Amino acid sequence: MSGMSWLRRSLGRHPLRSALAVAGIAVSAAMLLDMVMLSGGIEKSFAQLVLARGFQIRLTPKGTLPFDTEATFPGAGRTIRMLRSEPAVQSAGAVLGTSLFGRARDSLVTLFGYGIQPEAQGLYSLEVGRDLLPDDTAGVLLSRPAARLLRTGVGDTVTLVGRLDPQVVTAQVSRKLAVRGLVRWVYDYKGQPSVGTILPVMQSLAHRAAGDRASLIMVKIRDDRAAGAVAARLSQMLPSLEVSSVADLVKQFKQRLVYFRQLSFILATMSLIVTVLLVATLLTITTNERLGEIATLRAIGLSRATIVRQVFLEGTTLTLIGGALGLTLGLATARYLDGILTSFPGLPAAFSFFVPRRESLSLAGLVLLVSGSLAGLYPAWLAARAPIAATLRAEAT
Amino acid sequence: MTAVLIASNLVKDYPMSGDTVHALRGVSLVVQGAEYLAIAGPSGSGKSTLLQLLGGIDAPSSGTVEIMGTRLDTLSDRELTRLRLIRLGFVFQRFHLLPVLTARENVELPMAEAGMSPAARRARALELLGYVGLAHRAGHRATQLSGGEMQRVAIARALANRPAVLLADEPTGELDAATGEEILDLFTRLNRDGTTVVVVTHDDRLAAQAGRVIHMLDGRIDSEASLQTADQSTRYPAAPR
Repeated sequence: MSGMSWLRRSLGRHPLRSALAVAGIAVSAAMLLDMVMLSGGIEKSFAQLVLARGFQIRLTPKGTLPFDTEATFPGAGRTIRMLRSEPAVQSAGAVLGTSLFGRARDSLVTLFGYGIQPEAQGLYSLEVGRDLLPDDTAGVLLSRPAARLLRTGVGDTVTLVGRLDPQVVTAQVSRKLAVRGLVRWVYDYKGQPSVGTILPVMQSLAHRAAGDRASLIMVKIRDDRAAGAVAARLSQMLPSLEVSSVADLVKQFKQRLVYFRQLSFILATMSLIVTVLLVATLLTITTNERLGEIATLRAIGLSRATIVRQVFLEGTTLTLIGGALGLTLGLATARYLDGILTSFPGLPAAFSFFVPRRESLSLAGLVLLVSGSLAGLYPAWLAARAPIAATLRAEAT
Repeated sequence: MTAVLIASNLVKDYPMSGDTVHALRGVSLVVQGAEYLAIAGPSGSGKSTLLQLLGGIDAPSSGTVEIMGTRLDTLSDRELTRLRLIRLGFVFQRFHLLPVLTARENVELPMAEAGMSPAARRARALELLGYVGLAHRAGHRATQLSGGEMQRVAIARALANRPAVLLADEPTGELDAATGEEILDLFTRLNRDGTTVVVVTHDDRLAAQAGRVIHMLDGRIDSEASLQTADQSTRYPAAPR
């Protein structure tokens, strides 16, 4: 007979009770895991998203974040030329974001337009067709939702309509463009119909050509580790612009979502407390029921250490089984919840709230195991300290 | 013969509701090796308390117990536990087997604690179960056994580490007359095979099997009688002590 066999059968003595305890621990573990994934996952996902195409620095109008407002700044071409002349800079591209319309038969559909510099873009990846050339004034790139809305495909022609005058409802600028390719825009929300042209075309459609305006400049530098220093230098060189490294953006993002972290911390703590209470309650009940048996074992020469180890192992085993089930449950619920949360309008589809990282899984597992094991300490102490003779006398009466 | 167990002037008091219950009032006795001693007396006379003190599972208020030359009051809890494991065997009225384990596993338990190898303790457990007539029930859980069978498994468990003294507290108390007889025979056989047996009982039949009977009354030894001498020549050749 091995200790494990004894352990297994002890837990199987009240199978329903043990199963309910395991289920309770599994639910708590799932909640803990989800909260750990949520607390670190948002910023991790945000950082991954910002760095998706390897551009470590963003330049935006003073006091704004990328695409946070419709604000633009002038002199995009001049700034780009200056940036590209910097030795630390590998590439830099300006972007203009604007709303516009596309003609679908007799109606107009609302689209989001990106004016880009194809030779230095960090906004999309090509899926079908070909990319725009830097001087392609007749071409356009579409997202799949935009292609569906406009009922068009690669090689077709689409008509984009610039800003409408709300007073006269007349198209001020209209351009016929050939669809060069279908792309996935990194920062688009799910189902967002977006189109992209080279920067001058979009500036013309958005009435932003005067002053060569842009919403954003994305900068890729040669050395990742130098991002902070380069951003600081650019900030001094371009005081009228907001210069943010990825680290700066993540920091600001974290400040905005601090309530999310607090919520996840509170819920994670609660789930841990529930686990500790579950294991401690179950083991205390079980130990109290078995005090006579434990006193007998002590009487026939089993040491306190053996008794403590046995009770302790029962708690640890319950926690391990519950934790393993909780891991699976936690990953499944995280995926489900992520599907709901990321379908909120305005959130990039590539963004994720729950990011299963090895560190978060290990941390949640370790914290759970330690908590569950500690929860077995009191019942184990109770078992080991039971007075042998008095317990046997009480059993006999 | 050598004295394996010496109790000197044992006193045991229990505080109870502001009063003191005097369970033992100065009991002294000597148990010789291979002796069969019965401690009899009415309920509340202190016989079970005496057995608990002799077995080191309770401490006297005053007085000393010596087992094979070792005074129990000089031992740490760990040493005392080890002594109970190696030198003493316990049999209780209510058997107290682990219900989740089989008969063999229950017998193996003290041997596992003593550090015996799995193969050796398995073989020893089967040998002991054979000795108590339960080899065919080795794989049955304790809950699947009758009262008499459970008590025989408990006796086999008590013998597992070849104890110097077997201490039994009302071993037939939970059994019917016929089953109790089987246990009586088993104790007699054990003693013939060289095991020192100290049994607490108010079962006259069980007391009559013993070589010496101590009658207790009100926490004192009231009388003592030698009934017979165990016939050492009838030991079994393969005694599993």
